[in-house]
Amino acid sequence: MPLLLVLHWKYGAGSPLPSVNATCATRHQCHSSVMSQIRNQLAQLNSSANALFILYYTAQGDPFPSNLDKLCAPNVTDFPAFHANGTEKAKLVELYRIIAYLGASLGNITQDQKLLNPNALSLHSKLSATADVMRGVLSNVHCRLCNKYHVAHVDVAYGPDTSGKDVFQKKKLGCQLLGKYKQVIGVVTQSF
Amino acid sequence: MAFFAVFRTAFLLAVLSWRTCQSEVLPERLPLTPESLHISINSTLQHLHLQWTVHKLPYQELQMIFQIEISRFETSKVIWMGNYSTTVKRNQVLQWSWESELPLECATHFVRMKSTVDDARFPELSFSSNWSPWEEVHAHTPEQNTDLIFPRDKLVEEGSNVTFCYNSGINQNISCYLDRELIHGEQLYLNIFTFKLNNVPFIREGGTNIYCAVNYTIKDGTVLFVSKVLEEPKDFSCETQDFKTLSCSWDPGVDTGLFFDGQPSQHYTLFESFSGKKKFCEHNNQCNWEISRDLQETYNFTLTAENYLRKRSVNTIFNLTHRVHPKAPDSIHFNNVGATNATMTWKMPALGNYSTLLCQIELHDKENMRQEHNVSIKVNGEFLFSELMPDTAYMVCIRCANAKHVWKWSKWVTRTLITAEAAPSKALDVWRKVKPEKGLHHVTLFWKPLSKFHANGKILFYNIVAKDLDKKSELKLQSIPAPANGTELTLDQGSYQIQVTANNSVGASPASEIVISGDSGNEEVEEQKINGTKDGFLISWKPLSEDRAGYVVDWCEHQRNLHCELQWKNVGPNTTSTVISSDAFRPGIRYNFRIYELSTEKIAYLVENKIGYTQELAPSDSPQVKAINVTSHSFTLSWKDYDTEAQRGFIQGYRVCLKSKATQCHLDSVAELLPDNSTCCEHAINNPKQKIFLVENLQPESFYEFFVSSFTSAGKSPIGTFTKVTTQDEHSHMLMHIILPMVLCVLLIAVMCYWKSQWVKEKCYPDIPDPYKSSILSLIKSKESPHLRIMNVKDCTPDTIEVVNKSEGTKTQFIGIEKPLTESEFPKPANLYLLPAQDFCVPGPCISFVNHTYSESACDSGSCAHTPVPDTAPPCHLELLASPDNLLNTLEKTHTDSLGEIPAGKISLNYVSQLASPMSGDKDSLLIHSPVPVLCSEYKMQMAVPSCLDSPVLSENGSLSSMTLLGQDKHYH
Repeated sequence: MPLLLVLHWKYGAGSPLPSVNATCATRHQCHSSVMSQIRNQLAQLNSSANALFILYYTAQGDPFPSNLDKLCAPNVTDFPAFHANGTEKAKLVELYRIIAYLGASLGNITQDQKLLNPNALSLHSKLSATADVMRGVLSNVHCRLCNKYHVAHVDVAYGPDTSGKDVFQKKKLGCQLLGKYKQVIGVVTQSF
Repeated sequence: MAFFAVFRTAFLLAVLSWRTCQSEVLPERLPLTPESLHISINSTLQHLHLQWTVHKLPYQELQMIFQIEISRFETSKVIWMGNYSTTVKRNQVLQWSWESELPLECATHFVRMKSTVDDARFPELSFSSNWSPWEEVHAHTPEQNTDLIFPRDKLVEEGSNVTFCYNSGINQNISCYLDRELIHGEQLYLNIFTFKLNNVPFIREGGTNIYCAVNYTIKDGTVLFVSKVLEEPKDFSCETQDFKTLSCSWDPGVDTGLFFDGQPSQHYTLFESFSGKKKFCEHNNQCNWEISRDLQETYNFTLTAENYLRKRSVNTIFNLTHRVHPKAPDSIHFNNVGATNATMTWKMPALGNYSTLLCQIELHDKENMRQEHNVSIKVNGEFLFSELMPDTAYMVCIRCANAKHVWKWSKWVTRTLITAEAAPSKALDVWRKVKPEKGLHHVTLFWKPLSKFHANGKILFYNIVAKDLDKKSELKLQSIPAPANGTELTLDQGSYQIQVTANNSVGASPASEIVISGDSGNEEVEEQKINGTKDGFLISWKPLSEDRAGYVVDWCEHQRNLHCELQWKNVGPNTTSTVISSDAFRPGIRYNFRIYELSTEKIAYLVENKIGYTQELAPSDSPQVKAINVTSHSFTLSWKDYDTEAQRGFIQGYRVCLKSKATQCHLDSVAELLPDNSTCCEHAINNPKQKIFLVENLQPESFYEFFVSSFTSAGKSPIGTFTKVTTQDEHSHMLMHIILPMVLCVLLIAVMCYWKSQWVKEKCYPDIPDPYKSSILSLIKSKESPHLRIMNVKDCTPDTIEVVNKSEGTKTQFIGIEKPLTESEFPKPANLYLLPAQDFCVPGPCISFVNHTYSESACDSGSCAHTPVPDTAPPCHLELLASPDNLLNTLEKTHTDSLGEIPAGKISLNYVSQLASPMSGDKDSLLIHSPVPVLCSEYKMQMAVPSCLDSPVLSENGSLSSMTLLGQDKHYH
């Protein structure tokens, strides 16, 4: 995988990274159904996003389940933008940024939750499965951008570093991120 | 020197006094004032850490007291005052910490201090310095801080108190919650609110959310981690198994670890004070400590448990040799294993020759411990077991401990020891059953298997040796392989001594002897009934002789089974009673006990024979009864096939239950109510041997039902189906007495009559009646008719048959029958008409002769009579018209049928009878038509008709032309 952006999904990653220099020449041809695969993967993410959100805020304990609008509102200021009425190329680029942002954040959330709630196995499983699908989306989007639009460079940004945050803030930021994810993935899925 | 010291003190006091006076004038600090006060904050521990120095210390060290004041929000709001006493050295940086109840992030704190010399050595210095300037301190908070609640991620122990603060910014209505429970709060300062949690409980390892809301809108939250209280390690001890390693173990108690960064599980360290070594333990319940080569004798261990909040320590001190816990013995072997002894050897691993070991050895058989021994060894051990049982499996258990100081025993090690076999030690218990038959003795020998204690090994076979005591010869008969418990011998009727031995692989048991005498098995003694109980039978007997070796009582375990399973019990010679008990005894089973007396020559003599039940039960079945000799007034019941010995108790008698229509019972019976609420008359039979019963005083031709039940002391047999009997008619026997002779007489007469039938016939009813003997004569006489006379047969010409008016083609009913009917083939006529046929010379009226013997018997007297032929009647034509109308009709019908076959007027044959004499008819006496005397010689016919049906059929011209014989298949003309 020439564009190993996913390698940057490491715990604590938070600052925007420069785009990784790579060329599309060495890549093999994408499968003709790559867009279909992307749509299917997005549909899969969209269908599981709400369940993941519920599992997450339930595991955080009171007051999260009863105060979603305050604690889990999708107020993620630096979240990458998405324009549903853009061209396919533009949408793919924005999707790439979103998935990269979400993937990094999910990595942090997964690690935090394994420490905070080691017994919430279904939440861990759901988080890992979502991260796996995101990696697949990222690969397919990148392939599509390379092969069709010859885009080898996409600047991506990651969420804030939560390693220094206290536990309540970690819970809150994770909940906000998953709320945002649930909201965004619906729009993205619809646009494709 | 003393002078110099006094001088120096006086100088200092003078200087200090001067400075004091000067300070009152000038704001100059006094000496020994704390300086360089630096305050740092530890937010986690909520500590203010103070560091300061005391300059110009006049002595190398002074005992000083520092008075400290701490203010919050403002310097004037002093929240804590206290003293810190310490020995101050010159140029020393002093440190002191203060723990704040309120999170330090919630407020700005101010600190100042002053000092006082409190040193008895220098009483002249006992004055206080000036206060140091207030030092302000702020807790560090991140930039762009949005946190409003402090402390963040607070870790406390269960049961402690925690204070939270909320910085609202403005004075608002704040409420804070812990797991949805409201926490009481108070306003501390302007925009600062505090919330106290007292005695916080442990809720979960993941911490508990605390959050605050303003007007029900959550503003911020934090997580409180509550840890279990670290416990002191329990049961801390150390021991060695090999003098190389000390293994220390303890019970750690609860795990105080929390999730995330709350707090890891407590860790343990081991510190030995004599050597000064310390070791971090990898496990939370045990730790290994290497023993130095110089074998340090005494150890003082301190075990410390520690987490973020607390340390707990325990200590143990011991002598190494007192903490020896040997490993289990190994290399255990048994040598020289015999029938009664064996040697065991073993080794103790890894202890070397450092100490003497005490080993404990236990010997168990299957049931319990038999031997216990203690043996002291160094490394190798050996022990000799004796007084063992042959062919026995023992469990040998061994463990060891330090002999000087038993700290802990090693684990038990168990091995199995099986001793060798020995010859059986006891003679068999033998008994016999003798059955004499055809001059022989069929002897069945029984013996009880030897107990394991006496068998001393596996019994392989039994040897039976029979010795003829009369012939003094010895005969080895049989070797019976185990596990037999008996055999059969056939001996002649001599006396035999039989010896039985049990043999294992080592040898034979002592012989068991028994003697079969010539009259064995022929003893007859009377049976005696005994009463048993559920515990068995108490059997007593009378001795036969004074010189006896003992008694044997034998019985069959399962009496009703074909297989007897003979049991026996040996009783001493001086005992004349015993109790026989067995788990096999069952209620309702008859047991037969035979008591034998054993002579000193081992000959058994039958003494008594007893039968009994442990518990008698009611008979299970009733007798099958037959009713015999049934008469009009009695019948006999018999149940001779009823087996009383097979019943479930001693049969004491019978009850005959008789049901009849009679409402009252006879005197010798009582009314008994049956289960179906009917009653019967019950006759009691109290003799069990009486199996027949005569039921008397019955009514003839009456219906009776009976049932016979047997009874024991426990009750009657169940009532089954009643048998029905009907008594005979009272006169039937009389009829038999009368009818039988009468029948015989009749038969005799019949025989006689048959024998004399010709004579009787001739005398009583000849074929040709004798008119002189006939009643007609009297009739004639009574009429006193002068014209009537008896014709003499001799005067008549014999009858002839004349064929008249023979026509061609006349058909008769005899077509196909060429043979003319003979006289004998014709039925006998009831009325016989004799008409003149041949001689026409007698023109007078015809005379008819009526045989009254037939007519009277066959006809009604009123309707059938002798009819003289009237003058107007056709000549020689006589008829009998005496039949009833119905018969006439029948005849007419028959006649009609006949007419169809034989046309009238075509008579082919006429019987012409000899006319005996002319006879005038009596019109009054004759009911028949008189024949017209046209031609006396032309008589139509002679016929015969069955009795009572002999009605003449008239032809159309009034003449009798034909007649059908009723009941005959043929028509005769």
